[in-house]
Amino acid sequence: MNRNISTILKAVSKPGRYSGGEYGQIIKNKDEVKARFAFCFPDTYEIGMSNLGMRILYGKLNEEKDIWCERVYTPWLDMQEQMKEHGIPLRACESGDELTAFDMIGFTLQYEMSYTNVLNMLDLAGIPLRSENRDDSMPLIIGGGPCAYNPEPVADFFDIFNIGEGEEMLPELCRLYIKMKDEGRYTKAEYLHEAARTIEGIYVPSLYDVSYNEDGTVKEYKPKYDDIPRSIRKRIMTDMDKSYFPKKVVMPYIETVHDRVMLEVFRGCIRGCRFCQAGIVYRPVREKTPEVLNEQAKCLFESTGYDEISLTSLSISDYTELEALTDMLLEWTDENMVSLSLPSLRVDSFTKELMDKIASVRSSSLTFAPEAGTQRMRDVINKNVREEDLLRAVNVAFEAGKNKVKLYFMQGLPTETYEDLEGISKLASSVVDAYYKCPTRNKARPPQVTISVSCFIPKPFTPFQWVAQDTIEMLEEKQKYLGSKVTDRKVVYTHHDAKVSRIEAVLARGDRKLSAALELACKEGFKFDAWDECFDYDKWISVLERSGIDPAFYANREFGIDEVLPWDIIDCGVTKEFLIREYRNALGEKTTPNCREKCSGCGANRLGGERSCCPKSAK
Amino acid sequence: MLSEKRKITRPELLRSLPELERPITLRIKFVKVGDLQYISHLDLQRTFNRVLMRSGLPVWYTKGFNPHAKLVFSTPLSVGTQSICEFLDLKMDREMPLDDVKDMLNAELTDQMYATEVYIPETKFSDIAFCEYEYEIYTENSSSEFAENIEAVLKTSPLNLVKKTKSGEREIDITSLINSVSAEYDAQSGAVKIRAVLSAGSDNFLNPEMLITALKAKLGILSGDPMQENYSIVRTKALTSDLREFH
Repeated sequence: MNRNISTILKAVSKPGRYSGGEYGQIIKNKDEVKARFAFCFPDTYEIGMSNLGMRILYGKLNEEKDIWCERVYTPWLDMQEQMKEHGIPLRACESGDELTAFDMIGFTLQYEMSYTNVLNMLDLAGIPLRSENRDDSMPLIIGGGPCAYNPEPVADFFDIFNIGEGEEMLPELCRLYIKMKDEGRYTKAEYLHEAARTIEGIYVPSLYDVSYNEDGTVKEYKPKYDDIPRSIRKRIMTDMDKSYFPKKVVMPYIETVHDRVMLEVFRGCIRGCRFCQAGIVYRPVREKTPEVLNEQAKCLFESTGYDEISLTSLSISDYTELEALTDMLLEWTDENMVSLSLPSLRVDSFTKELMDKIASVRSSSLTFAPEAGTQRMRDVINKNVREEDLLRAVNVAFEAGKNKVKLYFMQGLPTETYEDLEGISKLASSVVDAYYKCPTRNKARPPQVTISVSCFIPKPFTPFQWVAQDTIEMLEEKQKYLGSKVTDRKVVYTHHDAKVSRIEAVLARGDRKLSAALELACKEGFKFDAWDECFDYDKWISVLERSGIDPAFYANREFGIDEVLPWDIIDCGVTKEFLIREYRNALGEKTTPNCREKCSGCGANRLGGERSCCPKSAK
Repeated sequence: MLSEKRKITRPELLRSLPELERPITLRIKFVKVGDLQYISHLDLQRTFNRVLMRSGLPVWYTKGFNPHAKLVFSTPLSVGTQSICEFLDLKMDREMPLDDVKDMLNAELTDQMYATEVYIPETKFSDIAFCEYEYEIYTENSSSEFAENIEAVLKTSPLNLVKKTKSGEREIDITSLINSVSAEYDAQSGAVKIRAVLSAGSDNFLNPEMLITALKAKLGILSGDPMQENYSIVRTKALTSDLREFH
């Protein structure tokens, strides 16, 4: 690190975010490297270092001898001020080189509210925001991650999107780049065309012309070449046992959000909750075997020294071999003082046996997500959880001496009534009652039930993708109403900011016209919009207005079933027919069985997948 | 350079070593330089816990609900100060060659933080009364005269400075906390190098940054553009009350 940066670090908070030098970081000899890749996480170091996908892709790219992948995070506000004052551009952690020195810059798009940070980072790096303004000498800008399933709001800024899982796709993109450079035929235009033509899962937005109807909806997507796909099908790793797994990770010195071993047990989810994007876009379910997982966990424990292993997957208690896996892990974790944790628990599969295994986690609190307050509402969203399940689950926790329960709910769901909202408060009260009825409860401590209520946001590739979000007035009115119904003093009520949820809805269902608004937002200094201290709703509305965008068109409009959706260019494996069917089932308050009970024919089995529960497809 | 990585898993190692009746205390002397100067004391403790876990060393863990290694560090190092003489005492419940302990630790550390010595301590951390620091100060118009000015400022008595504390700001005279100080101009690097021995006892610890604060206040340097003016501080020695090197 040079002395100048060093002095600046003395003037900022948490300098460990920027100093680098972590154990496990990968340093390569630049002379032996043909493609330099800057992997950017558009949020703080603490959040970015906790991301499993980034750990995987960092390791995977660096396995290739002639590719060097480095990490970049968004500098916090105080650091940005210092950088601006002293004319220091954004740099990568490992080499400390400026981003313009890289061949490719990848952004992981984890949440819509991080879009302004993406542009902020390009700006700090001195790189033109729009793809069309970057010539052959500029790094290629690549996007991936969950938000890439509707990449349109940020389409004008990116050269390439990776649709789906990147373990194979990203190295393939680098290899093609190296090949064309070696053969002396690299131009940005040639490269983009060839990538779109030859690599599955690659979406090059500039190669598709979008036209719009008079009412502002999308008319059609037209490929500029005949030899590129008309819709881009997502890539998946079919066999998770054989899929790349990072044996070592970069160890942060400062405390990060998820500072532990993250063991990915499976991908996908069998449930099909109708509001949940992850539950659809990561289909089909693909499990790892417990033997492989046990080896991977041991390997990571030895290479990191972490004292906690978190089993991470969408709905972990749905893992078919959970008992076998936890038994295997417990054979060696206890004596090594390693504890197990499960991030998400489903009430219907939460048992005493399971809790005993994770009891080594020292928390006195447990979290469940009933999502809605009445059975009718839970049927609409296909949560397939009953009140008795919840009460049974919390009873198990109370019997074991726990006294705190956190419950996640959503408000503003389609067809929601005030009765459904009141149901949230009633459900919370019955959990409190269950505590007092539990004879073996911890009598020394009073119960505490926290209900955390978020606002429903219609997301692409969900059965609710067409649904209009409640207006701000309605959301806030409902929040007030629910607040007035929570009278039990053992219940703590918290809720999300409806205004953030509205902007998130605009960005989630947006089309390319939003790029202009985001560009303006960047010019006006927007950043860290996922952080309460930075988000300013009025400024957002002003920026949208001045860019000719009506937020209600995206957030509060019911999209037509026959309408061409901005994300129709992407094929996530699940068919639109299935989503329509599910939407109608929702309105009819009809539930759909989970994938293991019965296949509902969502279409994802066309993608293949080992140890999934899907019937084989002709493909 | 660091030693080749030797991986012994903890249970295997434990089985092959004789168990001690009472855990034995070892002292690790280590270096913490470069990027690692920005890692706080709390982060350092967490880091060492993981390093020890990875190393497979037979560290003694407290018994009970929440077992943890007992780590005791010497004089805390402020963020932004490097050091080539940090000390950590820890307990092990198996005896093994001290060189192996050092190698196994260093296999899990980096070239910016690594162990230089491992030994059985005969002293207490409370014996440390002073620390010696080396400063390098880079400014635009450096010279021998400038170095003399710097030395003169740091030898002023009283040397009153504003110190920020939890309860607000107050003025203190740091003269009594400076045991010795000298500055000279190094023509080759263009830096002024300061060598200072400062109080480092538990009740009269002087943060080495305070000398920089003094120079900023009295000479107006190091307050401008860090591209032109900057400095570094390295703790070079821990000393006992009679100024012998602590070991």
